[in-house]
Amino acid sequence: MTRYATSASIIYRRATWLVETNLLVAAGITKRFGPTLALDAVDFHAAAGSIHALIGENGAGKSTLINVLTGRVAADSGTITLDGNPMDDRSPAACLRAGIAAVFQSPMLFEQMSWEENLVFGGFERSGSRLDLAAIRTQARGIAEPLAVPLPRDNAPITTLSVSDRVRLEIIRTLSYRPRVLILDEPTSVLGPAELERFLDMLRHLRGQGRVVILVTHKLREALAVADDITILRGGRKVAERRAGETDEPALARLMIGELPEIVSAPEDEGLREEPLLLIDKIGAEHDRRRVLDNASLEINRGEIVGVAGVDGNGQNELAALLAGAIHPSSGVVAGSAADAIAVLPQNRDLDGLILEMPLWENMLLARPLRRRFVGSFGNIDRGAARAFAAENCAQYGIRVPGAEIAARALSGGNRQRLTIARALASDPAVIVAHDICRGLDFNATAEVHRRLRSYAAGGGGVLLISTDLDEIFALCHRIYVISSGHLTEVSADKRNPEDIGMMMSGAS
Amino acid sequence: MMRITALVRSLIAVALACAIVTFGLLALGASPTIVFTALAEGAFGNWLACTDTLVKATPLLFCGLSIALAFEASLWNIGADGQLIAGAMAAGACGPWLSRWPHPLAVLAILGVGTLSGALWGGIAGWLRARRDVSEVISTIMLNFTAAQLLSWAVHGPLMEPTHAFPKSAPIASSAELQLYFAPSRLNLGMLLGAILAVGCYYFLFYTQTGFELRAMGRNARAAHYFGIKTRRLTIITMGLSGALAGIGGAVHIAAITHRLYETLSPGWGYEAIAVALVARLNPLAIVPAAVLFGALDNGAQAMQRSAGVSPVLVHVIQAFVIILMLTFDSLASRHRVMSGGGTPTTKGAAPTAMDLVDA
Repeated sequence: MTRYATSASIIYRRATWLVETNLLVAAGITKRFGPTLALDAVDFHAAAGSIHALIGENGAGKSTLINVLTGRVAADSGTITLDGNPMDDRSPAACLRAGIAAVFQSPMLFEQMSWEENLVFGGFERSGSRLDLAAIRTQARGIAEPLAVPLPRDNAPITTLSVSDRVRLEIIRTLSYRPRVLILDEPTSVLGPAELERFLDMLRHLRGQGRVVILVTHKLREALAVADDITILRGGRKVAERRAGETDEPALARLMIGELPEIVSAPEDEGLREEPLLLIDKIGAEHDRRRVLDNASLEINRGEIVGVAGVDGNGQNELAALLAGAIHPSSGVVAGSAADAIAVLPQNRDLDGLILEMPLWENMLLARPLRRRFVGSFGNIDRGAARAFAAENCAQYGIRVPGAEIAARALSGGNRQRLTIARALASDPAVIVAHDICRGLDFNATAEVHRRLRSYAAGGGGVLLISTDLDEIFALCHRIYVISSGHLTEVSADKRNPEDIGMMMSGAS
Repeated sequence: MMRITALVRSLIAVALACAIVTFGLLALGASPTIVFTALAEGAFGNWLACTDTLVKATPLLFCGLSIALAFEASLWNIGADGQLIAGAMAAGACGPWLSRWPHPLAVLAILGVGTLSGALWGGIAGWLRARRDVSEVISTIMLNFTAAQLLSWAVHGPLMEPTHAFPKSAPIASSAELQLYFAPSRLNLGMLLGAILAVGCYYFLFYTQTGFELRAMGRNARAAHYFGIKTRRLTIITMGLSGALAGIGGAVHIAAITHRLYETLSPGWGYEAIAVALVARLNPLAIVPAAVLFGALDNGAQAMQRSAGVSPVLVHVIQAFVIILMLTFDSLASRHRVMSGGGTPTTKGAAPTAMDLVDA
């Protein structure tokens, strides 16, 4: 009896201690989206005057957690205490008033307006209804100077500003609400190394002002360099919390990516031959004047599944678009016997891969080889044959539909993916490029997709699997490349483990 | 299947628009019976009225096809009026020089130059869109003004008739005229040509590779580009074809009806035809009856003013209500479609929606 009483009082004392020593305490936060458990009883706390890094892979629950903290998403259960006061009203406006503000991943600025005009949409003090840009500029200086942050020249429009200027401007706008908790969602993904150092210095200044800075990132080195504490999320659960001084990169990588069994259904070697199908040789490409592929080289042999691992946004989209022929390289060549017979399964299936308003059979015709097969000498389409062919493929790939005439929009996610795979395989490609095709699919659908890719490779085809899911890559791929800032590095056999690949992904060599 | 229910919605919109106007007339103390009888009499009362309805429908038919073709590719061609004028101007300029040509050849020539001229006028907007990213809405409207001013200048200047008394051009050679087989009715082969082109457009859109690519581009230009469809080239081609269809309409009008250019050639057919194309759900075959319907309203309006004393503006009110009601029905229908399954497009692509998960 006394023992229970004691443990209860220990729990109580620990809870009060947490609330007393921490500015922000979130306890038991759970959030469910349909059948998906996005956050599973996550605890998170941060003391005033500290930088707390929140790390995790895509889908680990980082974004959901900060959306809950800022009131953009209502949690199913759990409590949040700010400065000892439980926050009952958690609307976005109430969170902002209470002092929790966030800078979100993509800058939300009005491109054609000056930076002062953009700051009007912040929490600056105003004198009546008059728009006083000079006063806003003065207040912005008042925020920027203690942080040693340079401001753009007066009235500079956003279009003329660099990416780092924009990020700083967003932060100043957010600071105008005088937040005690400042959340930064992956702000560094767009910064170069030199800018990064200045940015981290700014974070240290903010910490010096007694604020809580929560830095959401997947770059381990950055987290270690600047944070006091690091919380690791994986699959919606809080896996661990570490003092930055008491851990290192490999340990964090392992925590972030998870314990993997030594051999995860090793790739099969059936059909694998030393016969290059596709050679990507020193490809460079630009998009919006940004270098998205940098001297990237890669080789695929007959029967081989080659993996490209990496954090989203490091050039994977451009690599897939390049192989689809949608963008052209500024340097380098794509060569090999398969260069003209590549079928790409794009990451953004509904936007790049399908035309949702068109019927299934017309979606099949999007693949050029199939279009050629059903087009007569006068450019006329043999609709009957194309429809029958599509219906036949639907049956073969288990897409249960009343007919090929229904619109692609009516299909479920899994069936849409089956349709794109059916189309790719039906067009007799020599190489299939699959980009994140299992994202959002359930266990069985994923297994089916994997089985199809395997049997395709075993039949003498080549597969390029671009994925952010390391488990998937380990399970399927004969060889692995890591893509980082548009550059491809092949992973040697002795580095084929989550720690080393995790480090390569985060930019370490 | 989908297309038929959509057309039924169009018919309901037409019926409802008439009902609303009926209530309006009742509220004003006028007799809807008299007004609508006069309208119907004027449009279909006798042989001459019927044929005149078809004559009035002809330019609407060509412009409607032009607009439908461009809209199928998500190119918002507001410039059918300018393209029609461009076609008419070319026809009116060449027409007087064709007197030595045998009749069929002269007709082919006059329609040919009209087609090319319209294609060029539409192609300019297509090129601007494809190569310079200029919104085709803006450029086609501007080109409408340009064409109208060019026409005005031409009939006051280089193309003015020999006596220089009136702002109109010299008449085209009689060998280039489209014959009026049913005189005194102005019925001519133009309507038939338009109907044949409607079938041609339908075949092109739904049975040919280029038509397929055009529709694919209109529904998802990103995916079309991803699958190697040359979207820029296709944009220029589509606008060229669209302009050509309106251009033939202009040439037909010169060759069959006016035989020469006047400053006030088009009363705004290119704009009215937007309504025609929308009522027909961009389906080229349905544009034929839709053009006849609008032609009948235009034709009946004048008779209605004569015999019932009602301003022809009432007809524009009916047309406007048809469009507004139709768009309202469409948004209701699409909402219903989303509610009853099918899921919604996810911009994030592979991220599943609740709907996907339910029926997976």
